[in-house]
Amino acid sequence: MTPALEAFFQAPRGGRPGQRLYLHHPAAGAHSRGAVLYLHPFAEAMNKSRRMAALQSRALAAAGFSVLQVDLLGCGDSSGDLADASWHDWVHDALDAAAWLAQRHPGRHAAMPIWLWGHREGALLATAAAAQIPEPVQLLLWQPVLQGRQALQQFLRLKAAAQLADGGGKGVVEGLRADLAAGRTVEVAGYTLGPALAQGLDAAVLAPPPVRTAPADTPPRAVWLEVNAQPDPQPSPAAQAAQARWQAAGWALEQQAVAGPAFWQTQEIEDAPALVEATLAALTRPGPAAMAGMPDTRQVAA
Amino acid sequence: MDVQAQVLQVLDQTLSLGGRALRFTADTHLLGAIPELDSMAVVSLLTTLEERFGIVVDDDEIDGTTFATVGSLVGFVGGKLAA
Repeated sequence: MTPALEAFFQAPRGGRPGQRLYLHHPAAGAHSRGAVLYLHPFAEAMNKSRRMAALQSRALAAAGFSVLQVDLLGCGDSSGDLADASWHDWVHDALDAAAWLAQRHPGRHAAMPIWLWGHREGALLATAAAAQIPEPVQLLLWQPVLQGRQALQQFLRLKAAAQLADGGGKGVVEGLRADLAAGRTVEVAGYTLGPALAQGLDAAVLAPPPVRTAPADTPPRAVWLEVNAQPDPQPSPAAQAAQARWQAAGWALEQQAVAGPAFWQTQEIEDAPALVEATLAALTRPGPAAMAGMPDTRQVAA
Repeated sequence: MDVQAQVLQVLDQTLSLGGRALRFTADTHLLGAIPELDSMAVVSLLTTLEERFGIVVDDDEIDGTTFATVGSLVGFVGGKLAA
């Protein structure tokens, strides 16, 4: 039986103000397979993905993983206004949550590095946070945003799109960018975005974080999963292009595309069960290097 | 699959129309006629069309006439592909 979900407010470390909502799904069973930290997407995608995030978290917990979901500053039930949040704040929130998970599961790092599971813009946060964590981590990237600049663009476009029916649209995005550059907040689709977050998101690029293990050790795993409605789903061209970069940086990158709806942006809340299955399969199987016969340093401790 | 068929597929998936869009014709009205086509859906549509066709839509190209009908949208995408 899977233990009950723990929901509580956690204060940020280092005297930063406010509190963040933490949802902790304790692992079922006596033998932990590891710990997973979920980093949610930006704005409406966060809302649209809540169900899938919950389904996956529960499935991982039932499979023996401890899963922590955190609401970032200004998002969901956490304190603060989105308008006052910065990308820097969000990376800190991710680091705090990772530290909480690590202290909850002491001694796991070498044996079972924690998984940073980032969805869309959350993937940008996951790699940014991983770059600041001295211990080895593993990455689970769901439909990662490759460039924050594109995500910001799509967000600002919502305002232009909102004016289409009235014959507007042209010049709207330019106006929003000018406001942000002048240090003013902007309002788009009911969200107030501040210059600090806009700048940070705009500059964020998905890059393989530095590898923390010795060269002779098993390369750290990064699992990259995409979802699309094509009949024979393949990872996007951009994802495939990233393969070489990640491998050159010392990561064991596994990529897979599964069939399903783009649930983070569909009109109705939709499920992608194939993604839940693929994620479970990826996290419960040994990594490719281990399967290739190299020593697997991850042992499940009694 | 031709451009119109692909655009209709994207429309159907993005707006969660359950197959309805696959029966649209070039004359089918979009913006203002389909309640599911709100601003969030317009942006999702643009993004998916960009990714599916490998085109880039500039900020100043976002204009109501593009989304007036299936025909105008297909024409827009076709124009980008030909460029």
